[in-house]
Amino acid sequence: MDDIKDALTIFKKDILQEWRSKAVTVATVFFASIVLMVLAFALGSNDTVLKIAAAGVLWVALAFAGIISAAQSYQNELEENALEQLLLYPIARSSIFLGKLMANWLYMALLGFLLVPVTSILFKAPLANNWWIILLVILLGTLGFSIISSFYAALTANLRARESLLPVLMFPIVIPILQAAVKASQELMGDNNPAFIWAWIQRLVGFDLVYFVVTLVVFHFIMEE
Amino acid sequence: MKAAIELEHLSRRYGRQFIFSDVNLVVSPNKIIVLKGNNGAGKTTFLKVLSTRLRPTSGNAKIFGFDLKKEAFEIRKLTAYLSVFGGNYQNLSAFENLKFALRLSKVDFTDDKLLARLEHVGLIDVKDKMVREFSSGMKKRLSIAKLLSVDAKLWLLDEPFAALDSAGKKLVDNLIIRAKEEQRTVIIASHDLQRSSQFADTILTIEDASLKLEKNLNHG
Repeated sequence: MDDIKDALTIFKKDILQEWRSKAVTVATVFFASIVLMVLAFALGSNDTVLKIAAAGVLWVALAFAGIISAAQSYQNELEENALEQLLLYPIARSSIFLGKLMANWLYMALLGFLLVPVTSILFKAPLANNWWIILLVILLGTLGFSIISSFYAALTANLRARESLLPVLMFPIVIPILQAAVKASQELMGDNNPAFIWAWIQRLVGFDLVYFVVTLVVFHFIMEE
Repeated sequence: MKAAIELEHLSRRYGRQFIFSDVNLVVSPNKIIVLKGNNGAGKTTFLKVLSTRLRPTSGNAKIFGFDLKKEAFEIRKLTAYLSVFGGNYQNLSAFENLKFALRLSKVDFTDDKLLARLEHVGLIDVKDKMVREFSSGMKKRLSIAKLLSVDAKLWLLDEPFAALDSAGKKLVDNLIIRAKEEQRTVIIASHDLQRSSQFADTILTIEDASLKLEKNLNHG
C-alpha cells in the first residue's frame, strides 16, 4: 500500500511539473500534428489509400511522441541531481517506476484520444460506432508502450547518448505492442471484423501484462546503481 | 554500543581506477567526522557509498548494524545525504519540494511544521516561489530544510558550506552543533577545513585512494 502511495506522490509531482512547464505537451502535440499533416499531404487524395494508412500513421505519431515524453520524464530528474535524491528515499524502486509509468501513460493516452478524431477526419477513416473500442485500443497500446519506454528511459537516464540510445533499445521490444495496436486500429478503421479486433485486443492485454510484470521485477536491479 | 559505521576492507573503483581501497574504519555514534581531500580525491564517492547510492566494489560495511549491500533500504531510513546539487525540482516551489521530500521520507508533518522549517532556513518569504528562480545559496538552504525535517541518525554532508553567505554558513554551524546535541553522527566532506574542523571529533583525509587519520580531536 505504501508503494502505491509513493508512486502516486511521484506521479502527482511529475504532472504538476508538466502542468507548469508544458515541455512534453508542446513537444508531443506539435510533433504528432506534423507527422499527421505531412503524411496526409504525401498520400494525396485517394480515399482508399488514406484509409489504409490511417492506423499506421496514428501509431507512428503516437510512438515518436511517446519517446519524447519518456525521455523528458527523466530529464526533470537529472536537473540538480534530483534522481540521486529520489533513489535515496526509503521507497521501493518499483514506486519510482510506477509513478513514471502512470505519468507517461497519461500523456500518451490523452494525446492518443486527441489524435484519433483528427486522424479519422484527415485520413477519411470514419469510426462510426467503434469510437469506444478504439479508445480502448489507445489505452492498452499506450500502456504497453509506456511500460517499455519508462523502463528504458530509466535505464538510459544517466548515459550521455540517452536520446539516441532510448529508441534504439526500446523499439525492437515494443514492436509486438505496436503491431497489435496498429492491426486492431486498422480493423476498426476499415473492415471492422469483430473477431479480428478482439483477437488483437487480447494480444495487447497479454503483452501489457507480461511486459508490466517483467519490467517491474527487473527495475529494482537496474536502478540499484 | 553498536558502531554507527563499520567498514572492513572497503573499496570502490570506477573502471580500473580505485577511488578508495581497503578502507577500515569504525565510527562510534554521536561523532562528527570531517573528511578532507583535494578535488577528485573521492570524498563525494565515499559519501555516496555510505548513503547506499553507490555500491562498494569489495569489502564489507555496516551502518548502525545494517549491511550496506543487503540492507540498503533500512540504511536509507536512518541516513540523510546533503548533496552538492541539492536534488530539488525546478518547477516546484520551495514548499512543494519540501512536502515531496518529506512524503517520500515517510515523515509525519503538518503544513505549519513545514512553514516553520522554511522560516528556520530563511525561505519563508519565498516559500511559493519556483526553485528555478532561486540562487544556489537559496537552493542549499532548501536542502538544509529537508535535512532538518528528517530525523536521520547519520548525516552525510557534502560541501555543506558551499554557495552559502555568512548567515547561511552560521546556520550550518548551528545545525552541526544541534546534531551533536541530538546524538547524531555526522560526516562532513568539506574544503572549508577551518570552519568544519571546529566541530570535528576526527579529521580524515582521502588521498591516493586511501583513507588516513589526520587528527583525533575528540571535541565534547
